[in-house]
Amino acid sequence: MTSPGDAAPVKPPPSFSPGVARVASTSPSRYPGEHETTQSLDAELAESQTVSSPTPLSATVAELPIRSGSSHSRSGRSSTPQLARSSIGSPFDGRSDGSEDIRSSIIRSFSPTIAVHASEDTDDLVRNKGFKGGFWELIRPFGETVSGKVVIRDSIGSSRAWEDYGVRFADFKGIGRTPSNRDSGPLAQMEEVLAKQLDSSGGMLGASVRTKDVLGLPATTPLCKSFLQQLLCSAPTAPHETFGHPVANVIAISSRNAAPLETLRQLYADGTTGDKQPPDWVNQEYLRYYVLVHDEERDDITESIKLYDQMKRHFGLHCHLLRLRSSQSPSANGSRRQSICRGQAKQAKALVDLGTDGTPYLFGSDATAIRAFIRELVVQSVIPFMENKVAVWNDQVASRRRGISGRFMSMSRRWAGFGSSSRSSIGGSSGGNSGNYDPTRHSYSPDSPEAILRKMADFAFMLRDWKLAASTYEMIRSDYGNDKAWKYHAGAHEMCAVSMLLNPLATSAKIKLESVDQMFETACYSYLTRCSDAPHALRCLSLAVELLKSRGGSATESAAKWAMRVMDFGLVGSAGQIIYTERVAACYASKTPVGAAKWGGRRRKAGMWSILAADQWLKAGQPTLASACLEEAERLYADVLQADGVFPMPEMQSFVDNLRHAVKVEYLGARGFDTREAPASEDPLDTEETSEKLDMRHHRRSLVGPPMQLDAGALNTTQGPLDSQSPPNDDFERA
Amino acid sequence: MAAASKAAIPSSSAVLGSISTLNNPSLLKMSYYFTILSPTDTPLFNIAFGTSKGGGDGIARFRFPETAQYMNQFIIHSSLDILEEAQWTNGGMYLKHIDTYPPAAAYITAFLTPSGARFLLLHQPPNLPSSTSSSSGLGSSSLLGTAGSTTRASSSSIAANPTSPQTEEAVRQFMNEVYENYVKTAMSPFYKQGMEIKSPVFRTRVTAAGKKWL
Repeated sequence: MTSPGDAAPVKPPPSFSPGVARVASTSPSRYPGEHETTQSLDAELAESQTVSSPTPLSATVAELPIRSGSSHSRSGRSSTPQLARSSIGSPFDGRSDGSEDIRSSIIRSFSPTIAVHASEDTDDLVRNKGFKGGFWELIRPFGETVSGKVVIRDSIGSSRAWEDYGVRFADFKGIGRTPSNRDSGPLAQMEEVLAKQLDSSGGMLGASVRTKDVLGLPATTPLCKSFLQQLLCSAPTAPHETFGHPVANVIAISSRNAAPLETLRQLYADGTTGDKQPPDWVNQEYLRYYVLVHDEERDDITESIKLYDQMKRHFGLHCHLLRLRSSQSPSANGSRRQSICRGQAKQAKALVDLGTDGTPYLFGSDATAIRAFIRELVVQSVIPFMENKVAVWNDQVASRRRGISGRFMSMSRRWAGFGSSSRSSIGGSSGGNSGNYDPTRHSYSPDSPEAILRKMADFAFMLRDWKLAASTYEMIRSDYGNDKAWKYHAGAHEMCAVSMLLNPLATSAKIKLESVDQMFETACYSYLTRCSDAPHALRCLSLAVELLKSRGGSATESAAKWAMRVMDFGLVGSAGQIIYTERVAACYASKTPVGAAKWGGRRRKAGMWSILAADQWLKAGQPTLASACLEEAERLYADVLQADGVFPMPEMQSFVDNLRHAVKVEYLGARGFDTREAPASEDPLDTEETSEKLDMRHHRRSLVGPPMQLDAGALNTTQGPLDSQSPPNDDFERA
Repeated sequence: MAAASKAAIPSSSAVLGSISTLNNPSLLKMSYYFTILSPTDTPLFNIAFGTSKGGGDGIARFRFPETAQYMNQFIIHSSLDILEEAQWTNGGMYLKHIDTYPPAAAYITAFLTPSGARFLLLHQPPNLPSSTSSSSGLGSSSLLGTAGSTTRASSSSIAANPTSPQTEEAVRQFMNEVYENYVKTAMSPFYKQGMEIKSPVFRTRVTAAGKKWL
């Protein structure tokens, strides 16, 4: 849960302990008695609602994967020993490794989107609490991580529990519509955000909190991580991929509403007709979920429960009664601070606002209630809905396509180009004819087999069933090529490669890296050349870099290749170029040598790229980051250079020396030291003076210390040979 | 110097006929950086030169600015990673093209000697989009207006393609000739192994070999 804004250690980490105890002590003293009653009522209600996991008491829930409200067959299945063995699957297993962290954030960035459509009175209630954006803004951060484990059943019937499952809440009115402020394009906006981050942090961001994993390999820098997260969530909702399309629609009314059922009906109608409905390439078969927001302070709970029972009768199981307090929590009070949504924010603007003051605060009871609501929403409604959809589509559409007749149809369609003009008649219903694609609007209609297969693959991907996702993407990607639906074509290739790489069961030997590379190549070409869609191309290549890097072994070579390709294509701006230079270094550094002979390491390459990154950071006026890169380079070169750390090649040595000196001068200047004194520290005689300066800042010593010591050593050793050798050298040349 | 190179060319024209016919004079302005590294990675000998074929003037024009010539050494040094791997998988002394530095389109070719010294040749096609030389006739190939995306353009013309068999063969001839001279130099009683090679004769011979073959 480290957001870019949260990187500074001064902010308190978001607490996920159930707020009961804390709230009891820290709630405003105006309502002590009332608060007690609401707590007990909460517990009563939780029991009466037949919710098997009433509150996400993380300590207890974490022990055993509870699937609340699961059907009999499912619970029977998940109790088999075979599944129990493989049940806990989480990218957090190897938390210490930076690449696992990146993997997890990639996985979570492709989480299901849930549209939020709240009535006016609900938004008013929430605005009273200090959330300007209304209900959507209130619950959005809580979707980041669903508390407790989420159990998902894949297509072959085995279940896995995920600790880090998340959903993304989107404003219903914003789906499929590009925000008006996006005139500069997402990439330019990302550059802007990046520049702001660099400015605001004053360069402190990268160096100080760079963590190292067990092996001492460099973990990813926070800057790079935040860049990747922005990139992954900046892609606008597009027809060709359904990750941004709503999986469910949360329809919310409040207890203040005079005519609740009519309002619900109206909100439902907004989703299907009228000008608020999502674009017509969005599949309308999404789940509707009804929420009654009860105002604890103004309204009567018995009335609300009565209404809620009525809702349950009307709409079935997909309902929830959310009990919130309508007054604003005073920020000075110790209530739980609103956790800041880090990656899932759809607008880059929200990312710019990270960490600014004025973040609203919530009562602990409210936070607990919202968390319970989201857990129930996801675990009981959204996931079963998605599982069901995947199963149905797999049965009805994919298997027909996959079967012998489907293959035959697709083949006949492919060969139909030779002479016969009866292409569309051959296609028929099974494989989908090429007429489903609308070239003028660049989309398939949502009920065509191509679009449904894509949606099914995306659902499987979001349910983390990468095997099914990969096979589905693989199946449909050639169809898109035949229809010349290039964006679909690119997207299917991209996601096919990504899901192949994410599949933990496929060992590196099993999947062919060449084919993955080929798919990325095709995707990139389709995005860039055929569609000139730079943001998606950048996303595709970045995913390639990160996932191939996390594969390790020979895949890191191609990861480095893709990172260089990003720079070569000019997809990123100046700061992005430097970040990708760092990524190349990290890719090479993660290729560890094997065996006693230490073959296969790429330490020299990694070191070179780190030096280049340091040089560029320095030129960009970020001496702190440059210093971090330089330190990294020294660590990488330590294995390959002689013990004294001197480069064998004189020009390299002089360049590195100059760079070290310049970084030091800039760094000390930026830290407020007198820059005029810094050159003196280059003189080995003055080391005492410098070390005194360093003593003032103990935590900085690791940054400045090593370059200095090495510097002194380097100077000493290079002076010697040069002095003794240069004069005879000249003489010899003359003679 | 010029006379020497002209004298050398006809003798080799039979071998190189295939290459020189392919060379479009205005295209092939490769720049070369040749290094001999001791077994401990210390450089024994450095020389930078340009092509002399097809009207080239034999002056190296690397893509880096004048102040960034250290990049050649960095690239050579970093390719030692690959070299250390390749030397065990390839039986011959001439390892052909082993490494590429894509941002600058620099290609590294390596040659091993029995004594452990390594010959490394960095060759780099001219920088087409921002080139000041006469190679602008190729036209801009950059997709998004970036410098450095010349790999595709250069691969389209065989003559400028550093990985083509003709180039490999020419480099092999060059390496063999340098190796011959290196052995002669190393046998000199005044040369100790691991010393920097300062013999002007050797430098002249390498220059001549570069003119002859590259």
